[in-house]
Amino acid sequence: MFDYTFQWKQAFNRLPQMLDGALVTMEIAVLSMALGIALAILLTIFRLSGSRPLMAFATTWVEIARNTPALFQIYMAHFGVASFGIHFSPFVSILIGITFNNAGYLTENFRGALKAIPDTQTRAGRSLGLTQLQSFRYIIAPQMLRISFLPMTNQMVWAILMTSLGVTVGMNSDLYGVTQDLNALTFRTFELFALAAVIFYLITKTITLGGRLIAARLFRY
Amino acid sequence: MKKTALFAALLGMTSIAGTAQADKLDDIISSGTLRCAVVLDFPPMGMRDANNVPIGFDVDYCNDLAAALGVEAEIVETPFPERIPALMSGRVDVGVASTSDTLERAKTVGFSIPYFAFEMAVTANSGTGITSYEGMKGHTVGAVAGTYEAIALEAQVKEWGEGEFRPYQTQADVFLALSQGQLDATVSTSTVAQANVQSGNYKDISVVGFAPFDTDYVALFAKRDEYGFLNYLNLFVNQQVRTGRYDELYEKWVGGEVPKLVVPNTYR
Repeated sequence: MFDYTFQWKQAFNRLPQMLDGALVTMEIAVLSMALGIALAILLTIFRLSGSRPLMAFATTWVEIARNTPALFQIYMAHFGVASFGIHFSPFVSILIGITFNNAGYLTENFRGALKAIPDTQTRAGRSLGLTQLQSFRYIIAPQMLRISFLPMTNQMVWAILMTSLGVTVGMNSDLYGVTQDLNALTFRTFELFALAAVIFYLITKTITLGGRLIAARLFRY
Repeated sequence: MKKTALFAALLGMTSIAGTAQADKLDDIISSGTLRCAVVLDFPPMGMRDANNVPIGFDVDYCNDLAAALGVEAEIVETPFPERIPALMSGRVDVGVASTSDTLERAKTVGFSIPYFAFEMAVTANSGTGITSYEGMKGHTVGAVAGTYEAIALEAQVKEWGEGEFRPYQTQADVFLALSQGQLDATVSTSTVAQANVQSGNYKDISVVGFAPFDTDYVALFAKRDEYGFLNYLNLFVNQQVRTGRYDELYEKWVGGEVPKLVVPNTYR
């Protein structure tokens, strides 16, 4: 039995505040993606390096990022490191948490992309006098990024949605945090969260469609 | 044949009339169970004992209410932000969840008369040198998201124009952040502050004074249009005080001077 009178006006009155929150959410997602991609490239180089400690480091990172809940990773970035006396603000904590997660998943995406590139290309590069790193930089990496471009937009969507976990570490300026604050104030739970869901949907849909458009323009063979 | 049809029609009408008239109070009595939303992360109002059994003032209060109704009590653990969804989706019948009866919220749910009143205390990390409510100005402070004190403290930080406010999801997270030094101070109900400082689970924290917020009256809540049930809740709260049960429960879970539930110079 669900009887409840919806008061949409009360929610729409708060739309400007929620849109401000959506901006913060996008800011976190974009930053965490940029940092995540950079770190994932580094981890991929570690994996290809042939050096045991570097490979072990990259593998450990990927294993933890992919096999533990994102909530745990974000929680550790705030309360976990604080037990060693390192304090991050909620914004930095959520950014570190999502970046860590992004880097792990993207490294796996890159691994999949690398499998699609024949080994012989590296060897051809090497035989032309390029070093291992140079052949990665000039031959392999561009193809790898191209192949994994669409999976990357997937991760971007995931990053947007993960920002909602920020409330566990005290975030109240992102879309989810703002919504929760307004909910405490007015108790208009259903209207506010429905509105937040629509905003989340529009953001993520724009990203996937935008990603497809960019891919279509950039990667014409 | 005619008689049977007439009888069937009559039967149909009475059953329709019956369901149309049954309100929440009837539903609870006939179902034999009263489902209470209780926050179990809010000692001493709601918590769990060593065997994971819910205990606390709110738990006892729910049990008393169920006993008065002659039904079984069912404690439904409900975090602060989920109180309204739990009520509206019909998972619980009543909220016994230390809920502040603000006018803004009363637009959405129906409140009984107050059944408890909180005073707010400032708890600070010992390293910060904060010794009063005013001393929090310019510091990083926090409280449990969605509570009366969080709303008031956030407004205060905005008014001060310096410092930072951080809401955490649970009382445990607030005190963890406080003892880690991530928060410099917090405002919570004095009962919660005392319980957590005395628990010894958190180091370097102490209660340093009172917060000058209006007394935080908390009420039972139910669906706004269930007058019969709300009426019953009002009488129940009144009877709890009248029979001395309120004093008894206060002594059992909190101790000290029992807060007055009436506001001077006004009705209700």
